Amino acid sequence: MLRFFIATVLALFCAAPAFAADGEQLYKFYCAQCHGLQGKGDGPNVTKDFPVDPRNFTKADEMNKLSDADIRNVILDGGPVANKSPMMPPWSKTLAKDEVDALVKHLRSICKCKGKT
Amino acid sequence: MRRTTTTVFFAAALALASGIARADAAAGAKTYQAKKCQDCHYADGPAREKTLADQLAKKGPELWYAGSKFRKEWLGKWLQDPKPIRALKYNSLTEKNPGNHPKLAATEATDVADFLMTKTSPLVKDGVVKPKANPKGRLVFTKNMPCSGCHQFPGQKFTGGLNGPSLTQAGERLNPDWILAYLKDTRTFKPLRQMPVFAGILNEQDMVAVAEFVATFK
Repeated sequence: MLRFFIATVLALFCAAPAFAADGEQLYKFYCAQCHGLQGKGDGPNVTKDFPVDPRNFTKADEMNKLSDADIRNVILDGGPVANKSPMMPPWSKTLAKDEVDALVKHLRSICKCKGKT
Repeated sequence: MRRTTTTVFFAAALALASGIARADAAAGAKTYQAKKCQDCHYADGPAREKTLADQLAKKGPELWYAGSKFRKEWLGKWLQDPKPIRALKYNSLTEKNPGNHPKLAATEATDVADFLMTKTSPLVKDGVVKPKANPKGRLVFTKNMPCSGCHQFPGQKFTGGLNGPSLTQAGERLNPDWILAYLKDTRTFKPLRQMPVFAGILNEQDMVAVAEFVATFK
């Protein structure tokens, strides 16, 4: 029985991805420089003359207008894909699919909202 | 006979100069070790960072391709009187750059610059990019792409974000050909960094235009 239990645990462990994408870590590394560590749109790049206001992810009413697919598209292709500023970069050549998914999930945790379905 | 003598003389002078440069680089390598420069700046490639944690553990930028990246004259001067290139401390979004990079004496700085100039990358092709006020480069840098969002630059009203290294004096600091090589093959130089990969988004012509434009910043 014990042997079966250990084998099952080992099998589950081995089946899991070696490094699951960590949405919070990715957010802090790539996004917080403009969107701020707390997601309020106030990262260190946003000087007083910064030409746009990066999105404040804590505003659930605004974030609820976006579906997960909308967010994913902007992360991948940048602001212009949603008629927003090119100051939001395209990350399609930088981030893997699971990393983008992890970021979308993390943004939902910041806004505490589910968004448009 | 005179021509032969002149040729021999110049060959000897070149060999001597080359030997001196090698000796200075060797002295620079010793100084690099003695001053513990490698504690913050590893100088042997290829890139070592595999994960974000690896990148975040670094105290300063890698220098294994410094000889392709920097202008030697700038490097020698900067090592004697280092002024912050980044507004923020390396790998921090909240702490200002303390501006406490160690200074080297003039001879040490020259030797270390000689040593670092031996650290080159074959990806950087010489003579492709010449500094030029390229209008396409300006358009891409300031409007079409978010470069100015993170890099300070000599703009009119908006002078750039603060998280990336400042490019205000990029023309004095950087080899223009390296700017292009970096845009084309970003991950070889920096596998993990806060700047997006633009290869596949910008074409090579646009990258050359941006490199030419950035190389004019003085």
